Amino acid sequence: MRKIGIIILISIFIILSHFTLVSAKKVFRSDWQLPEINQEQSQYRLVLITKDMRTPFWDKVAKGALKQAKENGANLEVWGSYGNNKEDFLKKMEIAIHSKMDGIIIQGLDTEEFKQLTKIKASFYGIPIITVANDVPMSESLRKTYIGSDQYKAGEMIARQLISDMGSAGEVVLMYDRQQEYYQTQRLSGIQDVLKDYPNVQIMYAETSDSREQIIASTQDVLNRMPDVDAFIAVNAEVSGAMIQEISKRYQVEPYYIYSFDDGPESLSLLKQGKLDGMIEQSPEKMGKKSVQLLMEWLNGETVPLHSEGYYTEIRILKAMDIK
Amino acid sequence: MNSIQKKILMLTTVILVIMSVIWLALTFYNYKTQNQYNEILQRYLSMNEATKASQLVITDLNNYMLNPSKDKLEQLNHSKENMQRAKMEVFQLRNTENTFILTNYINLIDNLIETTNRILMFQSVEDTEASAKEFSEAMRISNYISEMTLSLLDTELKTYDGFYRGIIERSGEVIKLGIWLLLLITFLLLVATYWFSLSITRPVLKLTQAANELSKGRFDLQIKVETNDEISFLAKTFDRMRININNLILEMKNKAQLEHELQQNKILLQESQFRSLQSQINPHFLFNTLNTISKKAYLEGSEETSDLLVSVAGLLRYNLKRLDRSVTLHEEVNVLQQYMDIQKARFTERLKLHMEIDDSCLHVKIPALTLQPFIENAVIHAIEPKEEGGNIWFRIIDGKERITVEIEDDGMGMKEDKMKQILEENVVQTEGHSTGIGFSNVVKRLRLFFGYDDVIDIVSGEGCGTKVVLKIQKIRS
Repeated sequence: MRKIGIIILISIFIILSHFTLVSAKKVFRSDWQLPEINQEQSQYRLVLITKDMRTPFWDKVAKGALKQAKENGANLEVWGSYGNNKEDFLKKMEIAIHSKMDGIIIQGLDTEEFKQLTKIKASFYGIPIITVANDVPMSESLRKTYIGSDQYKAGEMIARQLISDMGSAGEVVLMYDRQQEYYQTQRLSGIQDVLKDYPNVQIMYAETSDSREQIIASTQDVLNRMPDVDAFIAVNAEVSGAMIQEISKRYQVEPYYIYSFDDGPESLSLLKQGKLDGMIEQSPEKMGKKSVQLLMEWLNGETVPLHSEGYYTEIRILKAMDIK
Repeated sequence: MNSIQKKILMLTTVILVIMSVIWLALTFYNYKTQNQYNEILQRYLSMNEATKASQLVITDLNNYMLNPSKDKLEQLNHSKENMQRAKMEVFQLRNTENTFILTNYINLIDNLIETTNRILMFQSVEDTEASAKEFSEAMRISNYISEMTLSLLDTELKTYDGFYRGIIERSGEVIKLGIWLLLLITFLLLVATYWFSLSITRPVLKLTQAANELSKGRFDLQIKVETNDEISFLAKTFDRMRININNLILEMKNKAQLEHELQQNKILLQESQFRSLQSQINPHFLFNTLNTISKKAYLEGSEETSDLLVSVAGLLRYNLKRLDRSVTLHEEVNVLQQYMDIQKARFTERLKLHMEIDDSCLHVKIPALTLQPFIENAVIHAIEPKEEGGNIWFRIIDGKERITVEIEDDGMGMKEDKMKQILEENVVQTEGHSTGIGFSNVVKRLRLFFGYDDVIDIVSGEGCGTKVVLKIQKIRS
């Protein structure tokens, strides 16, 4: 009896001690994981700014850039606006300039404000600017270089694809943004230069702005004016989603040849659904990587000056059939 | 010897130490947590400080541009300095997570200062247009600073998210720890107190039991308490007391027994005295009567009868008077003479007494009635059974060292075992004694009186008489 009592007492003691110890350990454990104070200042601070945060295309660019930045030991942050918000985009850019970044990698925007910022403010603070994916000519923006696709060549490629799919005769609608950005004009001229060799191909230009209603209205207008249209090329990839939606309201989408580029938010999903017959696939990851690499080279004085024409990354045509 | 006190002190000290350890630990923990909180708060406060300072710079700048006076300028410079200080403070808050955004922040502040300086420069050369333009720029920068503060705070929250959660979790854990600790200490104290109280009460209980036994009257159980405190001392003392009481009681019992015996003896003595008094009445009466009869017989001319009666009366008086005191041999011999006169009257010619007495020895003291029983015995055994009668010799011989008294007869003798019985003072059943005083009685009295054993000797043989020899030493040893 006595023995049982002692055993019970001891086990109670052990159990209580155990729980107390576990609790005490939790309370007094000193792993206050505070980030350490960072004393090194030598790292370059770079920023990547885009208008279309969180689209598949720009996610890839950011991914490549961040990877490269890590490799080069630079500090890179990705800033930007959502849904093509230009005002916010410009503000971010201004903050970046005022914050005296060591370098800015930016999606080119062919507007006066943008050029003002790059030409006057950035050069006032001596901040190098590299455009990525979308270019603004150096003479207007004083950018160091451009990294991205050769948009003229992309236009050519898409036009050739169209001819090979459709044949050398038909009506083609080219849908583009009213704001004649540089990369868009490049693409257009590429397309035009190919198509002008085919006299039987009629080109119809449809201007639109970037609001959805406007795109729908333009599409309707085109469809009304040219009921026998055979093909659409969304020169500005952002247009493609709303455009295809509007077409599908009226007709079957299948018979039309519809082409676009991959830098729109909906491009890839549309291609997978088979609504796009083909699109130009650029190399966003490569763009990000290369831009950081070149910027670092310039900052370190390894490659001075940078090629003013720009560094082109790979492009290829991606057809809906290939995905299926 | 103050070990109970020691024990209590020890227990209290242990409890006190435990309490203080817990208190210290909790205080330390509290202090640590407080410090952490303070640090975090300080971070937020300094960040906010910088923002406020930048806004103040804009306000002062605006005031100065509207009204460029000296004190306004001073105020502007002052707020600028404030902002610089706030900037330096924020600079201290750098860590791996927020370096980028913090550098931006600091650069923005620098930019604001530069812009302010430019405005002041333009103002001094009165280039109003340029300064207005710069002012709008400064406004924008100030706005950016505000925004940057927000995103800085946001980063801060993200960085410290786990940390904050840890703090919350930990404060919950502290309560748990408190409960567990309370349970553990309660348990330990209960056990310790139980053990402690047992160490005090167990000896007390033993003592109580012992006292109980003692009160019931059992003094033979040993009291044993094996501790080294006061109780043990008490127990030892108690045990000693028990032993003492035990001894005293034994002594008392012995005394009581003795007293009891004494009492009984007293009663017996009184009884025997009473009896002897009672028995004295009749002999005196008898003795007087005998004397009267003797005179009567003498008057009637029977002289012989009268003499006989006188002898009987003398013998009777001697018997009554002299039983417990010493007499001289002379008196003893006289009584013997009287006794023999009576016996002669009875046996006439059958009894022949031969007396050889050395007169020089008659002053010796001997117990009364010592010789008469031997003579009587001789008469009974040597004269009575024989028709032709017998001889009895009575001699008192003066020796060198002692006086020898011999009583000899020529009777049939005495058996060996009877002789032995007499000498060993055993009561011998003898019949026909007139005086009622037995041999053993006589032997005992003689030995007591003279103080040595070798006072009597009996020589006897079957059919050749008995000789009793009394040896009285002249010099008492």
